[in-house]
Amino acid sequence: MKDTLARVIDSASAFGADYAEVRAEKLFETALTLEEDRVEAAEQGIEHGAALRVLVKGAWGFATVGSLEAGTLKTAFSDACRMARAASARLKTPVKQAEARVVEDKVVLKPRKDPAKISVEEKIGTALALTKRILAHDKRVRGCTVDYLDLTGTCHFMNSEGTYVEQDKLYVWTRATATAAESGLFTFSREEIGSTAGYEVFDTATPEKVGTMVARRAVEQLKAKSPKAGTFPAVLGPNVVGVFAHEAFGHLAEADLTLAGSVIQGKFGKKIASDLVSIYDDGTVKGAFGSFKYDDEGVPAQKTLLIKDGVVVGFMHNRETAHKLNMKPTGNARAEDFRVYPLVRMRNTYLQPKDHTLEELLEGVEFGYLLKSFRGGQANQDGTFQVGIQEAYEIVNGEVGKPVRDVSISGNTLETLHKVNAVGKDFELWPGRCGKGQTAFICDGGPHIRVKEVLVGGSA
Amino acid sequence: MAALRQEQALNLAEEAVKTALKKGADEAEAFIFRGESTGVGIELGQIVRSARTVDQGIGIRTIVSKATGFAYTNMLNSKATVEEAIARALSSAKASKPDKNWHSLPAKKPLSTVKKTYDPKIVNLRPEDLVQFAARMLDTAEETDKRVSPIEGGVGTGCFSEAVANSNGVGFVDRGTAINCSLVTVAKDGNETTPVCVEFNAERSFNIDPEWVAREASHLAISALKAKKTETKTTNIVFTQFALQELMQYAFINSVKADYVQRGQSSLKGKIGEKVASELVNIHDDGLFEGGLLTGRFDGEGAPRQRTCVIDKGVLRSFIYDSYTAHKESRESTGNAARSGYLSTPSVEPTNFHLASGRTTPEDIISEVDDGLIMYNLQGAHSSNPVSGDFSVVATPAWKIEKGELAYSVKGAMVAGNIFEVLKNVSALANNERKFGQLVAPWVLSGNVKVIGK
Repeated sequence: MKDTLARVIDSASAFGADYAEVRAEKLFETALTLEEDRVEAAEQGIEHGAALRVLVKGAWGFATVGSLEAGTLKTAFSDACRMARAASARLKTPVKQAEARVVEDKVVLKPRKDPAKISVEEKIGTALALTKRILAHDKRVRGCTVDYLDLTGTCHFMNSEGTYVEQDKLYVWTRATATAAESGLFTFSREEIGSTAGYEVFDTATPEKVGTMVARRAVEQLKAKSPKAGTFPAVLGPNVVGVFAHEAFGHLAEADLTLAGSVIQGKFGKKIASDLVSIYDDGTVKGAFGSFKYDDEGVPAQKTLLIKDGVVVGFMHNRETAHKLNMKPTGNARAEDFRVYPLVRMRNTYLQPKDHTLEELLEGVEFGYLLKSFRGGQANQDGTFQVGIQEAYEIVNGEVGKPVRDVSISGNTLETLHKVNAVGKDFELWPGRCGKGQTAFICDGGPHIRVKEVLVGGSA
Repeated sequence: MAALRQEQALNLAEEAVKTALKKGADEAEAFIFRGESTGVGIELGQIVRSARTVDQGIGIRTIVSKATGFAYTNMLNSKATVEEAIARALSSAKASKPDKNWHSLPAKKPLSTVKKTYDPKIVNLRPEDLVQFAARMLDTAEETDKRVSPIEGGVGTGCFSEAVANSNGVGFVDRGTAINCSLVTVAKDGNETTPVCVEFNAERSFNIDPEWVAREASHLAISALKAKKTETKTTNIVFTQFALQELMQYAFINSVKADYVQRGQSSLKGKIGEKVASELVNIHDDGLFEGGLLTGRFDGEGAPRQRTCVIDKGVLRSFIYDSYTAHKESRESTGNAARSGYLSTPSVEPTNFHLASGRTTPEDIISEVDDGLIMYNLQGAHSSNPVSGDFSVVATPAWKIEKGELAYSVKGAMVAGNIFEVLKNVSALANNERKFGQLVAPWVLSGNVKVIGK
């Protein structure tokens, strides 16, 4: 494979490429969807293909083909160069890339339980155990869906600068959702499991444990009341802190979005958060869903400090954005597969713990909300964020009170980061999937934190 | 990786079905998809990106003792790999559990004709042409107002062909084209940055207007400046297609999918014949809509696409079905089996979900509103409760309407409500219907929605 890729890379220079790279992948997937006790589909995939990227006169050309045959790859490079040349016609500022160390490496993963070697029967068995546990929890649980996915394979990356990385890929992911109903009221709940370690993730995230958690929440929501609408103090659990670190802040600090005018633009070295806030994006957490050794530009993943004691000290980069901002690449260039080009993506994003217990965080709150687990979140370039919450409780006089349902919080990220007035000492990382045109596997998390006030949008 | 001609694709699909039956499948189906796309991308006011994608593959569904297995591969040139995929589809089926509700793959039925789904002009466009269209968008945006930055966007074309064959006599091929252009802008004035504003064209025929897209995206960003907070109150909302599409997708559409209904995960279960929306509301799922983004002759399992009345004058008339969910109720598929290329088994999805437009002009809709908000776009619809239809989103960008006129742009307002209540309270529909993903709809005026401001 290495020799073929080297020949193909050489051909790109002949077509006029100033820089060329090829990412060749062979992938195997297993996917399951179960609805209640019905296996809706057991799916297996075998695929290969290559992503090719060139810089011609400062413009990017990209081509992808479902083939690893040298002739096809050369034709694709020729297409990419022609397109890049056309695109370069109106360029005022040509694209340049920050320097990256030339590396040659082979990354072999040695999972204790390799998902590629586990039978489809066993995977169906695990998923069925999960649906059975959910449905058995309470008769008000009306339905559940379990999705399972594993992806294994190898990625060969080579560029015209001499970097060559051969890297195994391994992802195991499961999502369980439950719906509950009682007297015309519908609730639902979701949990995800995700790992780059191996199938052994189910030894700790057992069907018993995860199933109970999902079902219990759906049922508990049935007796929950609607939240009040308005501005209230809130204690955010690690799962919600994670989505805040990722959605509300993280995307703004992806350097492509920063450069596109996110509210973080021009804030490097400036204080944008309370002293208590430090945020990392870390690609090196062992076995975590957002971890890998090299990114899809051949740059080693690292632990990147984004906010230190409230001050912006870093952004997440690919080689192009690092050059634009005169910084070093951080290993955040990721592509979902050979069909797409790498984008600046997060890895494991978390807020650093400090020293408070949960009781201490709750203590000062006369009336507010404890936001335990999120349903979804989204942020705009101007820093407006929205996070939907699937599990929340009232806080009354410093004590956790009744559950509330369908809470959604919103605000401006920077204003809210300044309002963080206490940070807990616990820590959890939660796996998830992030969409930015492509899907990336990530984690996010942190400790419990307290926010002086946040806008709560109640149900109508 | 030579391009498959349509008849070759059908032959390959039929061969795969035969092989699967020979290897022990009770029933088998093969779906072949080939897609080619070309695009140029705008970033920070420049055209810096171009991409060409060629993707083709086969997805094989086998049924063994009422259990379903599926496998796919994109290695169509390797006969051994296609056979390996067929073997995996069979091993998946054998590992799976029998489904007592399984009936059969759909039988062959006559197909309707569709219009304006394939345009050779799109196929013949060169990368240089796409760069020209993108350049025209950038020029127009720059000329409109210097406070506007075009931050993202692009122009793309696609053409695809698909073939489906099964052991029940189905054997169809079709092809289609699409073209789109889009521009994402922000406006900056002093310390103020607007939320991102988007405009686009997406068509099946070569019928885009890059200048219009750029002008609209720029005007939108400029008018989003000088944003103010608004007060908390229950009021009227004009939903544009951007906002409506998000809410319908995340809070409503699952409720009319037969699989959700049959599993008790739809608030509309048991409500056929009941009034569920304002009598102004007429919705068809129209797989044959002329030039529709999701129009085709057959669905993902080879059943005919059709026009299905979902809501008639506010009364719920039908859910949407694939052949599996239809058999469960001893009825016919409505042609709503969707696939993501060759990579997955079919699932129930709408085609062109068409909310019929009214007669009122958009200007008259606004002039009817004494107090309210026009919500152009929103954030957070995906965290809606898909069963109850409750949503709580941020309106961004949005404008306050006072005494029939746009008063000022609004920042940070949350809008909380329930999509079923919104549909019940519809008091006017504009005459500005457009295609928008799965939705074809006009602006919609509804009342009694809670806006949470400062």
